[in-house]
Amino acid sequence: MGFTELWSTYGQNYIDALLTTWGMTLVCFALVMVIAVFVTVLRVSPFKPLRWLGDLYVQIFRNIPGVSLLIIVVYALPYLNVVVDYLPSVIVTVVLVASAFGSENFMSGINTIGVGQIEAARSLGMSFGKILRRIVIPQALRSTVLPMTNLFIAVMLTTALGSQVPLDPPELTGVVSYINTRSTGGILAFAVSALGYVLTALAIGFAGSRLDRKVRVLR
Amino acid sequence: MPGTDTAAPVIEMRHVNKTFGNLQVLKDINLSVQTGEVVVVIGPSGSGKSTLCRTINRLESIDSGEILISGEPLPEEGSELAAVRAELGMVFQSFNLFAHMDILKNVTIGPTEVLGMSREDAEREAMELLERVGVASQAKKVPAQLSGGQQQRVAIARSLAMHPRAMLFDEPTSALDPEMINEVLDVMVNLASQGMTMIVVTHEMNFARRVADRVVFMADGEILEEGAPEEFFEHPKTDRAREFLDSIRGH
Repeated sequence: MGFTELWSTYGQNYIDALLTTWGMTLVCFALVMVIAVFVTVLRVSPFKPLRWLGDLYVQIFRNIPGVSLLIIVVYALPYLNVVVDYLPSVIVTVVLVASAFGSENFMSGINTIGVGQIEAARSLGMSFGKILRRIVIPQALRSTVLPMTNLFIAVMLTTALGSQVPLDPPELTGVVSYINTRSTGGILAFAVSALGYVLTALAIGFAGSRLDRKVRVLR
Repeated sequence: MPGTDTAAPVIEMRHVNKTFGNLQVLKDINLSVQTGEVVVVIGPSGSGKSTLCRTINRLESIDSGEILISGEPLPEEGSELAAVRAELGMVFQSFNLFAHMDILKNVTIGPTEVLGMSREDAEREAMELLERVGVASQAKKVPAQLSGGQQQRVAIARSLAMHPRAMLFDEPTSALDPEMINEVLDVMVNLASQGMTMIVVTHEMNFARRVADRVVFMADGEILEEGAPEEFFEHPKTDRAREFLDSIRGH
């Protein structure tokens, strides 16, 4: 099967798959950012049990293979009477793992801020919450654009976990199985999907470095 | 501050002790600063003078003793502590401006976030303060674009914007290149002449002579001498103070 035949037969499937991957990536990354900020706030809070909880979250989800977690969500949770549909299962899995890495990015961003600025904010009478919102989080966000760009790409690639469950329409990796069980697309069927990932990753990387130059904190 | 006793010293330390591990950095510190007074704390490095300064707004906790601000005990934590900190200006050796905000925002954030002032009022006042410390033309830049001397003057303006009842200066010129020291000291001299209550930890002996109402000499965590600047510099009573003064006059 040549490219022309492959594309004329399955072009629409590829486009749907690409849009599915993009959609999952956007939803996952938005949730990753929210949860990573939340977990990081726990990890820098003045209360030891909360710090402990945040660290535990990161240690668990940073060290668990995505596929294992997906199996737990899809096959184990129903035993606890928690039945999650396939698409949300994949999203939850990606978000749990990636937010642990996202929190690590934020922590290193926070560590670049330096205790002096925190002390200055405390001296002005700012509360812990205000110091986080106005001093710490804005700088942590700005100084982690590049690592978060990497994470964005990693999140996109991790949505390939969706190929392990029936999604309709399938995402970019799943669509290859879909095609190869119906025709002999072979390596070319993979290559088309790969191109979709690569071009998207390049676009994310480009946008990330543009954003980084714009918001980077001069020191 | 509620319940303020106008006759009480602005800052009073009574029998304050503090240790870092096995090292006692503050030994039975007693110090009282009246409204409008400028107290300069000097001493060799490691003498505990910075720590003393930092305990007054509880950036460092103390092990025993008492610190009173306008007669009220310094709260240990929470919003009560934050309220007292808001009334004590603090200027650091390393400026500590907020790196992601422009200069104007650095000065307005305290009044808007802590005092609940409107942005317009805060900006108008901030520009007046920046004018007063001579960096109004830099208002739209970020801290990294300013020289050390300019940054420190912004830091002073940031503290003044809170209308503090006293200002604490923790070696404000020690991180500056020599040619920038005077521009910061000039601002501080001005402040003193306008009646600001100040505690200044410094190595600038000329500043101490010119501006201080009282000089406090510390060594090894203790206050060894306390007195008028002329008296202290001309007739130090202790050997430690004489040695210290000789060592900095050496050249």
